[in-house]
Amino acid sequence: MNRRTFLKTGLAATSLMMTPPLLRHSLAAEPVTFYGLKSMSGAYASYGEFAEKGSKLAVDDYGLLLGEKPRYVTIDTEGNPGRTVRKVQEAVQQQNARLFGGCTLSSTALAVGKEINKVGGVFMTPAGADEITASECNKATFRWTVPTYGAIQQTVRPLFESNPKAKRWYSITPQYVFGEALLTASKNLFAELGIEHVGNSYHSTQEQEYSGYLTNAAAANPDVLLILGFGGNGASCLRQAANFGMKSKMTILLAWTQGLDWFQSLGPDLLEGVYLGAQYWHQVDAPVNNALVKRTREVYGINPNYPLAGDYIITKIIFDAVAEAGTTDGAAVIKAMEGMQYDGPTGPEMVRAQDHQVIKDYYLLRGKGKAAMKDRDDLATVVSSGKSFPEGDQILCKMS
Amino acid sequence: MLYLFQVLNGLGLGMIYFLISAGLTIIFGLLNFVNFAHGAFFMLGGYLCWSLTELTGSFWISLLAGPPVVALLAWAAEVTLIRRIYRLPHTFHILVTVGIALILQETTIMIWGPIGKSIPVPDGLQGIVTLWNFAYPTYRLFLIAFTALIGFALWYLLERTRFGGLVRAGSESTEMVALLGTNIHRLFARTFALGVGLAGLAGILSAPIRGIHPFMGPEVLGVAFVVVVIGGMGSFTGALLGGLLVGLVQSLMSTIWPEGASLMIYGTMAAVILLRPYGLFGRA
Repeated sequence: MNRRTFLKTGLAATSLMMTPPLLRHSLAAEPVTFYGLKSMSGAYASYGEFAEKGSKLAVDDYGLLLGEKPRYVTIDTEGNPGRTVRKVQEAVQQQNARLFGGCTLSSTALAVGKEINKVGGVFMTPAGADEITASECNKATFRWTVPTYGAIQQTVRPLFESNPKAKRWYSITPQYVFGEALLTASKNLFAELGIEHVGNSYHSTQEQEYSGYLTNAAAANPDVLLILGFGGNGASCLRQAANFGMKSKMTILLAWTQGLDWFQSLGPDLLEGVYLGAQYWHQVDAPVNNALVKRTREVYGINPNYPLAGDYIITKIIFDAVAEAGTTDGAAVIKAMEGMQYDGPTGPEMVRAQDHQVIKDYYLLRGKGKAAMKDRDDLATVVSSGKSFPEGDQILCKMS
Repeated sequence: MLYLFQVLNGLGLGMIYFLISAGLTIIFGLLNFVNFAHGAFFMLGGYLCWSLTELTGSFWISLLAGPPVVALLAWAAEVTLIRRIYRLPHTFHILVTVGIALILQETTIMIWGPIGKSIPVPDGLQGIVTLWNFAYPTYRLFLIAFTALIGFALWYLLERTRFGGLVRAGSESTEMVALLGTNIHRLFARTFALGVGLAGLAGILSAPIRGIHPFMGPEVLGVAFVVVVIGGMGSFTGALLGGLLVGLVQSLMSTIWPEGASLMIYGTMAAVILLRPYGLFGRA
């Protein structure tokens, strides 16, 4: 056999060997693919790690969807809106991606939502910015998280009603859109309940040192210190408030916290007696939540936290909508999601068609002391919960 | 009374900033080396504090053992990598030290996880001291006193010992010190280890106040550079006064203009650069 014959034979044999999979691939249905937008690197990697676990669990446990096992692809947002939008565009152009979920950062979620709306896809997010289902809403974007209005209604109101004598409140607020939204909602509720707002200190989101603001707060002699910072801002502020002995002098409320993983990083010594607002709590007795807790312990050996539960249910909602629509076509999936009622990790939940906002419970928790804890994650107890959302004219979404 | 208390608070804050930036300025002063990994070593000190406190149950053991461990790592980094780039332009210093910072950050995530941790204030320092109507944490008072002690010890080391003399001479003319028979490589390595060890010490002392997380390095680095630029690159006295000035500005502005408190730190730096381009104690 000469060289030319050898090459021809080899090429023919290789082509022959590749034919069956190609044939099978072209004849079979494409598996439904969910694209998880997770901050796997960068400053929000701690959040992305759990969100990824949640989405993967939902995909692995789903069974068959449109005749095939669904597939999961991670897109690392890197905590960067520009890069995420580029990656989403690539996924749409090269892989015909249409179903997306996730995004830790509100700025990323807003940018990505607009891009996915342009290509007729579907996107659901647990991001915090109220604009997602208000002034910046669009047909493709859905949100699982309770907005700032609900977070304040479900924390400030029950706390005040349980102790109406605590009339003097001081707030410490990060100065950006999210902090401003929480502060505005608080001021509105203060006016309604007759609470005296004795002062507010704004701070930068990069702030690490709170002693100056806490000194201002102490000088105002409030009954309640309302901390509106989130994540690292809230943690540093609470830690330093405890250092300054404020826990014993006044009630402390953090209206919006990240939940279990954030509580674990602070520990019971700091959290004891502090009131905490939360989107999700693993000890809530609801059928879907009980099942989620069981599976998360089996698969990952941990209790679910907010990012894990949020991205789990987001993934599942989109799959349920695909199953109901019988297609991955964006418009059909969106139609199936609008008005969908289902059992979620917080109990009965509903996707409001008007603004694509999920109507679900928000929790007021109280930090437990070490002695009262039954296990290492039993860091808080549920004081109250409920649903509060802007209604009627207060819904700012004009669906485009 | 509120302003008086903010002045006291600002002085305390300034001492913490001094501690964070002292190592950075010492390294720049002698080695003419810009260490962008300073914040990462600060973070490493905090994590060593957490591990040693968990392991032994004592914060004080971590305070004793942590800085030498960080200094040892810095010495190893200097011997294997950093001494090869002293003579290169500052852009290479930045490139290499940012790389070291990223390696340390990602290694920290691999070992300790991405979620932050809290370190309790050590027993005996957990209370508050009440002054008039205001409370001030006992631990912060300890921190002020301890940092003052460290500052004095550093001053003594740099101004009154043979090592300090060599360091100061080296900052004037490295070649001359080498020609006089001093092993300049060893001097550089020790100085780098000392400066970075101070970052580790600052990380340990700050941990009970600020907690720790893998991304704290760049946050601290920003303030450290502001203090060093205000004080004058390479000036030990400048770091002390720069730290106090930044602490006072931040604390007072928290009352006068809270939303601009952080901004005014950089505003102060800009004002100092305009009036004295080389900082308060810097040299051309």
